[in-house]
Amino acid sequence: MSFNPLTERGIPIERQFRSWSELASQPYDTRDVHPYTRCRVIVMNGIEVEAIINSHNAARRIADTGVKQMLALVRKAEQQQQKAVNWLIPGHESTIANTIGYEQVAVDLTGWLARHEPDPYLKQVYEFGILEDYDHLYRYANLMDLMGERRKAEEITGDLTEILPGRPTIFHHRHPHDELRRPMTVEASDFQSILNAITIVSAEQQTMNYYMNVGNRPENPMARSLYLEIAMVEEQHVSHYESILDPTTPELLNLALHEYNECWLYWSCMVTETDPRIKQIWETHLAMELEHLRLACEMMKEVDGIDPAAVFPKNGVSKPMTFEPNKDYLRDVLARTLDNTASDSQFVPVDQLAADHRFFDYQATVNAGGVPSEMVIQRHREEFGEEYRFATDGAHPIPSLKESGTAEGTDYFRTIERHMENA
Amino acid sequence: MMTQRNETHEGLHRAADKASDALGGMVGRASANSAGSTSAAAFAENAAIGDMYEIAAGKLALQHARSDAVKAAALKMIQDHTTSTQQLRSAMTMNETKGIPALPDAIDARRKTMLDHLQAAPADKFDATYLDQQILAHKETVDLMTGFRDRGDNAQLRSFAAGTAPVVQRHLKHMESLKAQLA
Repeated sequence: MSFNPLTERGIPIERQFRSWSELASQPYDTRDVHPYTRCRVIVMNGIEVEAIINSHNAARRIADTGVKQMLALVRKAEQQQQKAVNWLIPGHESTIANTIGYEQVAVDLTGWLARHEPDPYLKQVYEFGILEDYDHLYRYANLMDLMGERRKAEEITGDLTEILPGRPTIFHHRHPHDELRRPMTVEASDFQSILNAITIVSAEQQTMNYYMNVGNRPENPMARSLYLEIAMVEEQHVSHYESILDPTTPELLNLALHEYNECWLYWSCMVTETDPRIKQIWETHLAMELEHLRLACEMMKEVDGIDPAAVFPKNGVSKPMTFEPNKDYLRDVLARTLDNTASDSQFVPVDQLAADHRFFDYQATVNAGGVPSEMVIQRHREEFGEEYRFATDGAHPIPSLKESGTAEGTDYFRTIERHMENA
Repeated sequence: MMTQRNETHEGLHRAADKASDALGGMVGRASANSAGSTSAAAFAENAAIGDMYEIAAGKLALQHARSDAVKAAALKMIQDHTTSTQQLRSAMTMNETKGIPALPDAIDARRKTMLDHLQAAPADKFDATYLDQQILAHKETVDLMTGFRDRGDNAQLRSFAAGTAPVVQRHLKHMESLKAQLA
C-alpha cells in the first residue's frame, strides 16, 4: 500500500467552502463508537488546529500580500475542516470521558510513532514521553470514578489499551531547560521522522490547550487540581516534542511539510477507519488537503525557489499511521526506562543526576504541600477500597508499582528522598 | 613570606604561563579555522574538549575566584557548557552523524596545561588568569562554531554549531567586559 499526495488531484480550493448544515456533522454515539474512531477524530482535530495556528503564525511574520492571501484562503478551508471533525464529538460525551480518549490517543499514537521512528535518538524522545501520558491515562481513569461518571474508563478505551501506572506524574515536573531536545535537520533526517514530529507536536499541543481551557470547568476540587497539574506536564511535552523540529525550516517549506503531513494522516485515517460514515469525511478532507499541498508547493517554488521534488519522497509514503494496541511495547519501555528523567537533551536514570541538579529544587518547589496526581489514587482507595486499573496482559512489570500506583515505594522516590536528606 | 627574589621568580612563572596559554590559544584558533571548520570528526572532537575545559575551569573558578561577578560568570559557563555537552552527545546518537568517530572522554594536553596554569595561579591573580584564559578559549570556540556552521560537512553538526555559536559569542563578550571592569 502506498500513497503519493503529489501525484493525486484534489478538490479545487474555490469549491471547498461548505454551508453550516454541511459542517455540522452527525456526532458519533459515545457508547457505540469504536475507541480508535474516537482517537482518529481527536487527533485530526489536533492536526487541523495546528494547521490553523501555524498559518496564523506565518501570516504574522510574512509581509508578502500574495502569500498572506494564499494562507488566508487555505486557512479558511482548514477552519471548516476543524469544525466538521471536532463536531463529531457529541455533547453527551463528558469532559472526563473525552479526556480518557485524549490520553488513549497520546498512548497509542506515540506508541505507533515510536515503533516507526527510524532515528535512535528521536525514538528515545518518544519513549520518554509515552510513559508520562500512560500514567496520565491511569490518573484520569481514577478521577473518572470519583467524578461519578457512570462508566469505567475501560468502556471508553475498550480492551485495546491497558490502564496502569506509568512513570508517576509526581516525577514529571522538571525545570524548563530539561525539556529541550536536539533538533533533527530537514536536510539529513529520514522523511518519516519529520512526519512523526509534526504529528506528535500537534497532538500534544491540542491536549495542552484542552486541559488549559477545560481544567477549570469541573466543580470537584480534586478534578480541578488534577487537570491543573497534568496541564503543566502537557506543556512540557509540547516543549519536548517541538524542540526536535528543525528550527531553521523556511516558512513556506514548513507550510508545505504541514500540508503533506495532513495528506498522510487523512489517508491513514481513510484506509484504517471502520465507520463508513466517518471514513467518507476522511476521504473528503484528504481531497481538500491535496489541493492545499498543491498551493503550498506552488508558492514555495515561486517565492523561495524550493522544488517539491527535492524535498518530498519520490514514491510517496507507504505506511499509514495506524491506531492499534501497543501493550507489549509499553511494557517493554516501562521495564527499560521507567526511572529515567531528562537532563538538557539527554535521558538519564534519575539516580545518576548530580546532587545539585536543578530537578531536585524544582520538584521540592512544585510538589510542596501535596500532589494531586498522588491524592487522586489515595482518594480512590479511600472511597472504593482499591485503586482503579485495567490490565489485560498480567501484573504490572515494575515490582514497586504492582500493588500501588502512588510513588512512595518506587526507586525514583527513594532517590529524591535521599537527596532531601543530604541537602 | 615571599622574598623579593621569590616574587620575581613567581612573576616570571606567571608570565611564562600566560605566554604559553596565549600560544596555545593561537594554535587552537588555527585548528578551529582549518579542519575544525569543515571536518565533522575534527569539529566534534574540538567541541567536546572545549566543553570539558570550560566546565573544569568553571569549577576551579567557583572555588578560587575572589570576585562575585567572576564566580557568577563561572557558574554560567558550567551550566551553558553542560547544555552544549548534552546537545553534542545527543547529536552523536542520531543517524545524521553515523560514521563520525565517538567523542573523546578526556581533555587534550593543551587544555590540561591551561587548567594546570589556572590551578597554580596565585590567589590575587586568579581572577585575571581565569578571564584571560576565558577570552582566549572563547575566541577559539567562536571560530570553531561559526566556521563549522558556515562550512561544515555534516548537517546535524552544522545545526548544533548554529545553536551554540550565539551562546559562546555572548560568553566572549561578557568575559571581555568583565576583564575591562576588573582591570
